[in-house]
Amino acid sequence: MKVLSKIQSPKSKIGTVLFFTASAIFVIFAAISTAGSSASDKLTVYVVNYPLKYFAERIAGDHAKVVFPAPADVDPAFWMPDTKTILEYQKADLILLNGAGYARWVNKVSLPRSKILNTSAKLKGRYITMDETITHSHGQGGEHAHENVAFTTWIDFTIAAKQAKSIADALGRKRSALRKTFQKNYKALEKDLLTLDQALVAIVSKDLSKSFIGSHPVYDYLARRYGLNIKSVHWEPDEAPGDAEWMELQTILKTHPAEWMIWEGNPMKKSVEILKSIGINSIVFDPCGNVPIEGDFLSVMLQNVENLKRAYR
Amino acid sequence: MIDSFYIAWRYVSFNKIKTLTLVACITLISFLPVALQLLLAESERQLISRAVSTPLVVGVKGSALDLVMNTLYFGDEVPELITMKASDRVMETDLALPIPVYVRFRARGYPIVGTTLDYFEFRGLKMAEGRQIAVLGDCVVGAKAAEQLGLKVGDSLVSSPETLFDLAGVYPLKMKVVGILEKTYTSDDLAVFADLKTTWVIQGLGHGHQDLTKLQDPTLVLKRTKDNVAATAKLYHFTEISEKNIDSFHFHGNTSIYPITAIIAVPHDAKSGTILQGRYLSKEETHQIAKPKEVIDGLLQNIFRIKNVLDAVILVVALATVMAIVLVFALSLRLRQREMQTIFKLGCSRMTVVQLVSSEILIIVLSSGLLCGAMVLLVDQFSNDLVRALFIR
Amino acid sequence: MGMIHIESLIFHYPSGEFQLKIPEFTIGRGEKMAVIGPSGSGKTTLLNLIAGIMTPVNGVINVGNIKVNRLSDAQRRNFRITNIGLVFQDFELLDYLNVLDNIVHPFRITGALELNKEVKQRAIALAGEMGIGDKLKRPSNDLSQGEKQRAAICRALLPNPKLILADEATGNLDPDNKTHILDLLFRSVEDHEATLLAVTHDYELLKKFDRVVDFQDFQRK
Repeated sequence: MKVLSKIQSPKSKIGTVLFFTASAIFVIFAAISTAGSSASDKLTVYVVNYPLKYFAERIAGDHAKVVFPAPADVDPAFWMPDTKTILEYQKADLILLNGAGYARWVNKVSLPRSKILNTSAKLKGRYITMDETITHSHGQGGEHAHENVAFTTWIDFTIAAKQAKSIADALGRKRSALRKTFQKNYKALEKDLLTLDQALVAIVSKDLSKSFIGSHPVYDYLARRYGLNIKSVHWEPDEAPGDAEWMELQTILKTHPAEWMIWEGNPMKKSVEILKSIGINSIVFDPCGNVPIEGDFLSVMLQNVENLKRAYR
Repeated sequence: MIDSFYIAWRYVSFNKIKTLTLVACITLISFLPVALQLLLAESERQLISRAVSTPLVVGVKGSALDLVMNTLYFGDEVPELITMKASDRVMETDLALPIPVYVRFRARGYPIVGTTLDYFEFRGLKMAEGRQIAVLGDCVVGAKAAEQLGLKVGDSLVSSPETLFDLAGVYPLKMKVVGILEKTYTSDDLAVFADLKTTWVIQGLGHGHQDLTKLQDPTLVLKRTKDNVAATAKLYHFTEISEKNIDSFHFHGNTSIYPITAIIAVPHDAKSGTILQGRYLSKEETHQIAKPKEVIDGLLQNIFRIKNVLDAVILVVALATVMAIVLVFALSLRLRQREMQTIFKLGCSRMTVVQLVSSEILIIVLSSGLLCGAMVLLVDQFSNDLVRALFIR
Repeated sequence: MGMIHIESLIFHYPSGEFQLKIPEFTIGRGEKMAVIGPSGSGKTTLLNLIAGIMTPVNGVINVGNIKVNRLSDAQRRNFRITNIGLVFQDFELLDYLNVLDNIVHPFRITGALELNKEVKQRAIALAGEMGIGDKLKRPSNDLSQGEKQRAAICRALLPNPKLILADEATGNLDPDNKTHILDLLFRSVEDHEATLLAVTHDYELLKKFDRVVDFQDFQRK
């Protein structure tokens, strides 16, 4: 057996250096390519409200950049994005819509149908048509109204879970290699949502006859799913109700003697005191359509559940 | 030989009318079949390439050719309308991406193609200037249409009423040109693209007006009850969509019953395409699914049958023209017999006489050839536009 | 030796209808001869035979020392264009060529003559002598009858021929022009030291010629 000489000639030294240099370059290049392709593999998902943002982020994790461009101080259902933002929506890999007529602006803009997911499309049979709308008519068309479907679907947590499922399926179609990951994440989210659901069922079942006043007609899905008896007014949490609003409340209370008002957000102290003076307590059930100041969707809903519990003590 | 050409040139220049007539005859008879062949080849190219790139088209049952011509080439014949329900149906099969198109209205003679953003990606259309359509009322214009109408980004384009006296129906909508497309050398160059919803606004299915629940002018309110406000005909409908009034725009009823002319169905794969086609085979089916390539192949076969007849006619005409030209030359030589005798007497050989006459013929034929060549080049240069103007539209 | 010598000439057309017999005929060098006779007597045929345009059935035609009747078609053509100038009654100018092009035309239709700068200059000089030097670029149709015949004479003289054959050269000219043209022709012939054989009906002009031959005398002989 021959023993390799330990003394290298100058030529073989150069060869060795060249070999390792080439290998290093190859490795670096491969790393950059891989890094580049990982970055470009990240899906861009645009949504129309915060619950969908939360669901998408929970399911997709680091595999998607979820964008919700509505300003924090607007109601996303009535927000109209500017042209620049609409063009950004157009470039997304996936556009998540809530459905049920949420975000009226969607009907007035151009979005690629191939990238749109109506998260509640398969739940059209469970949409709630609202009665309290003034219709109008002109020409030969007859009467028609424009907002006759309730759109805060996600506060029925079984519907929220289904919406999340459709998001997981859509993400899986976009990235089939990550389908299992998305489904796993979805299952975790579903568990959280159904836990919320069961918690509310348990709370409300204590007294199904209890009456509530809703500060806005946004609790239809909550009412239907959990058997809450709610009639709504049109009060803003950060505005003192005027005479007309009080009159409206009085009229409702005559046939719907409620002891609790459910607010969308923290109400003015004055409003709370005046309501208290007529025997109505206030709790907050924040539908969380936009990004909360603190916490996230789940923490806000958990707080909502706690708040509702107060009404049943 | 050069002297013969000089003499021949002098002769043809002197007899201008005869020379021009002969050149015109020979040019035309040479040009016609070549030009026809060029135009037909270009038609075939345009028709075939467009048809091959469009996998399937769904529309009302009836003439597949009308359906394909309107959907692919924005032809004048508008097929019977279908509804968005048909597009939803394709979507729900999960076998293909449906791209609904509504090609019914026109703006200054150019077709308005109401569609979705998927159309642009499907056809690979890119912006040369400006941006993509974003909101109701936006439109992007094909390269040639923009050039011919003198449109730039930021200009307005008003849709044309369907009929002169259809005052209560389709009314002009002032659209905003937000982009101009890159040239594609297809029918897309001569079209105006808008969102499907914008074409529904043109039709009057969607519109914007003042909030009727907040009207103060009593002449605008016909009847007001607790649940309904009826407006009078005086109520003004916005004819232009702007940032100020876009909120007021709305659509009546369920958009699934809104009309479209066809759906371009892009199957996810070949198998899906086959399955999708199978869904439209039943006798009770009111819709049809057409493969544009097959429809255009059939059309081209008919065109080429007609072309063969045309070729035969041109050949006969060419023969007659050649005979007439030969007669003209023969009569001309007869008239010049005295001249020929004179130069023969002067010492000119018969071969030189032949050279002289041949030179004249060569000058005429070369001139015709050059003119024909120039005309053919011109036709070739503009064949794309000529085909669209003469055959496809 | 005379310029032209004809002996025992017999010519008839293949159909045999017309017959020309000339036992003997001679024209001296530099001589200006007129041939007269009734129409159809064969005067033009004689010119054609001398020029080699036609060939006799029998006999000898010598022009200079060339036996024209023995030449081939091509040789006769070459001989004709280099040695004989032809002047016709109807001028036979080409309406699609200008005057200069008409004058140099023989140089363009045969390889026996070469058209070069020197020839063009001679043509211009010749036209000047004939009084049509200022009309060279004009279409030949723009010329008067007299001017046209002058141009035809220039064409005939340009190759420096030794023999001029004129067939009724003054036949289509008005009386004033006839004399003038004939004078010009005579002067040109003398200047070029050529021989002139002219067929004419103009008896008033006969006195200008050196010799007059009555064609009927030939035929009687």
